[in-house]
Amino acid sequence: METFATQPIPAHVPPDMVRDFSLFSSPGMQPTPNGDPQASAAVVHQGPRIFYSPVNTRDGRGTWVITRAQDQRRVLQDPETFSSHRSIFASALGESWPMIPLELDPPEHGKFRSLLNPLLSPKRVMALESAVRERAIFLIDRIAAAGTNCHVMEEFAFPFAVNIFLRFLGLSDDRLDEFVTWANELLHGDNVQRPAAARTIIAFIDELSAERRRRPVDDFMSFLVQSKVDDRPLTDQEIRGTGVLLFVAGLDTVAAAIGFDLNYLARHQGDQILLRREPSRIVLAAEELLRAYPTVQMIRVATKDVDFEGAPIRKGDYVSCATMIANRDPLEFPHPEKIDLAREDNRHTAFAYGPHRCLGSHLARREIVVGLEEWLKRIPTFRIKEGTAPVTFGGHVFGIENLVLDWS
Amino acid sequence: MKIIVHNDKCQGHARCWAMAPHIFELDDEGYIKPGDIDVAEADEKLAWKGAKSCPERALEIEK
Repeated sequence: METFATQPIPAHVPPDMVRDFSLFSSPGMQPTPNGDPQASAAVVHQGPRIFYSPVNTRDGRGTWVITRAQDQRRVLQDPETFSSHRSIFASALGESWPMIPLELDPPEHGKFRSLLNPLLSPKRVMALESAVRERAIFLIDRIAAAGTNCHVMEEFAFPFAVNIFLRFLGLSDDRLDEFVTWANELLHGDNVQRPAAARTIIAFIDELSAERRRRPVDDFMSFLVQSKVDDRPLTDQEIRGTGVLLFVAGLDTVAAAIGFDLNYLARHQGDQILLRREPSRIVLAAEELLRAYPTVQMIRVATKDVDFEGAPIRKGDYVSCATMIANRDPLEFPHPEKIDLAREDNRHTAFAYGPHRCLGSHLARREIVVGLEEWLKRIPTFRIKEGTAPVTFGGHVFGIENLVLDWS
Repeated sequence: MKIIVHNDKCQGHARCWAMAPHIFELDDEGYIKPGDIDVAEADEKLAWKGAKSCPERALEIEK
């Protein structure tokens, strides 16, 4: 979680547009017992629609911060001006290659996106539902049989989400704990752990793709090594870039969402009762929980000088579109601080806007809904275990740890 | 009632389809099929909700 400024504030940034706010170090962003980092980030809505944060990336760089949902939509829908090519993974190794399709810009982006879209389309996800439900039931029944409390992240959220994701990749979950450790060290580790984890993940992806080239089976990596774009096979670097993105994006985002959701329900018994009595409300409620507890900030790089709502954005500047900020924009959502599980007209940006809209969003939604449905069906009224405190944190990907629920 | 479909803005969130799959049809990649949609009177409320659910503002309602 450590961050430090690596660059001075650029001279073109007017001093009165600089704010002391950071998704990494502002109040509520460091690991906090019983914290609420998404609500803490909403403090920016007391300020201007755009400002400059001097330290707002994992590697200590400054970014412009776009606070309004409408403005974030403009940035994210305009990849020509705001590129997503910034080699966030490779740069940890001092290298420069894109995770695909996320860090490609149109028109290259569209070719890879078209290749992958059918694999995670809404209709394809419907076909995966029974496997998702089966896995949720297996884990929750095991928890219910073992006692009257549990560590939600370790016993349910991670093994559930990661198993589904590994199944999609065509991997068994023998090494599930190992994968979760890699992802944790990559996303939340220090400056030694992150590059080490990155190298481990690359070696794993490279080895897997080589194996699938030799002996293809019916799985994602075999599909990738046999695929073509522009009538040519994918290069090794493209296969690596795609494999790494799928691995990183799928490993802990859904687990974090489920953790935040169960944390909320444990603290709001009225809502817990409502969803338990009327499970048909869970689909809509899950959208509101995605609005209230999203976990990702999108960062784009300006490809040219542009004045944006009074801010002199210059070529090369980073522009942050944090989902948790847009999702609490009072101009977009009436009473954004209020979590209303029956909220309609809920066009939140938990999965971003624009061409890079989360490829896995349909699967993620299904996992969250099914996870909540089966949890509420099988676990009686639950609360935070007395004497324990979940620890939340902000940063590049928001998360929650030490979530111990009790139903004794 | 008619829904004007801006295909260039559709990014495959499929929120319209989740609301009313028989009104908003998707292609194999999960994007909305091209062409504006004539909505039957009985479907108007649902179509309105579906159009309003688009995070990209790709669906325009024409009365």
